[in-house]
Amino acid sequence: MESATQHPPAPLPAVSPDPTDPVAASTTVHRPARPRLPTWIARWSIEQRVLGGFGLVFAGIVVISAISYRNTSVVLHNSRLDKASHELMQLLASIGETLDAAENGHRRFLVTGDESYLKAHRTAREQAPEYFRYLESLTGAVPEQRTRVTTLEELINRQLDAETKAIAQREKHGAAGVRHLALSGAARLELADIHHVIADFESTEQRLMQARVFQSTSSTRKTIGLLGLGAFLQLVLLGSVYYLIHHDITARRRIAAELKRRGELLQAANKELEAFSYSVSHDLRAPLRHIDGYASLLAKTASESLNDKAQRYLQTISESAKQMGQLIDDLLVFSRMGRQEMLHTTVDLNQLVKAVIHDLRLGLQESKISWTIGTLPDVSGDPAMLRQVYMNLISNAVKFTATRSQPKIDIGAKPGAPGEVNLFVSDNGVGFDMQYVNKLFGVFQRLHRNEDFEGTGIGLANVRRIVHRHGGRTWAEGALDQGATFYFSLPIQRPPG
Amino acid sequence: MTTVRPILLAEDNPRDAELALAAMEEHHIADNVIVCHDGTEVLDYLYCRGSYKSRQHGNPAVIFLDLKMPKMDGLEVLRTIKNDADLKPIPVVMLTSSREERDLAQSYALGANAYVVKPVEFHQFITAVKELGVFWGVINEPPPGINSAS
Repeated sequence: MESATQHPPAPLPAVSPDPTDPVAASTTVHRPARPRLPTWIARWSIEQRVLGGFGLVFAGIVVISAISYRNTSVVLHNSRLDKASHELMQLLASIGETLDAAENGHRRFLVTGDESYLKAHRTAREQAPEYFRYLESLTGAVPEQRTRVTTLEELINRQLDAETKAIAQREKHGAAGVRHLALSGAARLELADIHHVIADFESTEQRLMQARVFQSTSSTRKTIGLLGLGAFLQLVLLGSVYYLIHHDITARRRIAAELKRRGELLQAANKELEAFSYSVSHDLRAPLRHIDGYASLLAKTASESLNDKAQRYLQTISESAKQMGQLIDDLLVFSRMGRQEMLHTTVDLNQLVKAVIHDLRLGLQESKISWTIGTLPDVSGDPAMLRQVYMNLISNAVKFTATRSQPKIDIGAKPGAPGEVNLFVSDNGVGFDMQYVNKLFGVFQRLHRNEDFEGTGIGLANVRRIVHRHGGRTWAEGALDQGATFYFSLPIQRPPG
Repeated sequence: MTTVRPILLAEDNPRDAELALAAMEEHHIADNVIVCHDGTEVLDYLYCRGSYKSRQHGNPAVIFLDLKMPKMDGLEVLRTIKNDADLKPIPVVMLTSSREERDLAQSYALGANAYVVKPVEFHQFITAVKELGVFWGVINEPPPGINSAS
């Protein structure tokens, strides 16, 4: 069947790179094949994608910053501890020196009795509490070192006490009383122990320092690694965000180009339509004129030899031609209403309706229509077009109430959506079946036979076209034999200024 | 009626021409009508060339000009006439099927003296053509020199 070719072709493998792509399948627009986004991302709007991307980047930065901060803190802490360790070792050295000097001094005193040798011992004695405080403050929380501090303090006290005791003995008993001490020193053992403890102290501190150097180095390395990773991650995420934005912008550009192309096509189509209606106005009228013309000429020339039947045939030919002429004229008006430039002025609908009824009444002198015309608002629009709307609606109402003994036509306004007004023309005429309501406003749609009510089927289509161009809507209500109401909405006149 | 002034009817459609002539016959002015079937023929007549080489010189009383014609359309003919100092005074009536605003505007812009839309209804058509023929061919006083043989 020929019509089968109108269906979209079934996706064939290896024909299209992406047969599921609905855009590629339905249009012939050529564009480079692009990798498709995962559907869950494709569902996100551009804003959501950008927000998501930046959220990830931000989270990455926060995590990396936190870890780097912690690592840097460790390094800083270690360097503070190192400083303390250095000071501690200096202190230990100076304690060792001071105690050596005190020991030497006290021994010389024991031998010579020269008090000037006691200066070092006295200094040591005086400074011992200071040293202890300093020592305790510099020693970290390492329990091993804490114990050593206590031991050291004890030993120092013992040394100094022993020396003091020996000095006192020397002063009391003279050199003979302390000879044995003078040779070996009163606190020889303690001093040896002290040096021993100090050495241990220093070696432990060295070890701790080394451990800290190692830790700092590894922390710094980790920080650098992390920062590198973070930078990479951010680049990746920024790249993704760029891709997402680019993807969207590309899509938008493509759509804009497509819109432009369609706009041009539409313009071309409009031009064609214009040419078409021009052609209709020219070329379709001529044969009609000829039909009517020659039928009339024939009727005149052969009037004597024609019987009534033949006369009636000629009459019908003429009438049909005239009817088609009317149809063409209506169609041209319809076409013009779609293309014509629109005016935007304030239109007094009361005046307009009065004028329309006045014009229509010319042929209805004996008409018994009872009119009810409510107060109508001023609206913004094209007066000639709106006149056409009321002309069509009112002449319809007049036409379809012609068979009524008491025709009634009601024209008015009702409040509509904000900024709009709903206008209506209502009659008690023959009405229509609501199941055909969607056909009412279509071109050439007629619900009545021509013998019953004349018409070209363009009036309501024209109404709809004009109302749409004003930014309004049209709709209708009715029932068979119970009248009809035709509504249209229009924007209300904006207040001046 | 002392002088017989010809009416030039530019109409490519022979039926339209016949109907127009039938209309003018009723007022016995059909004999003065010269029918041209396209734009170039109109200019041939006006410039006395081609098949009108040997015609009696002088401008027509009025030209009824159709818009759509083969070879050279009505607007082109109108432009040529109104750009020629000798032909410019001839009244030109556009007699056409087109009711398009564009055609109206262009015709008047080029200097058309009147614009008549051919009615579909024969009686109206007959009345229109008759009245046009009588008005422009008989009643209207042409500008001086239009009849002077040169």
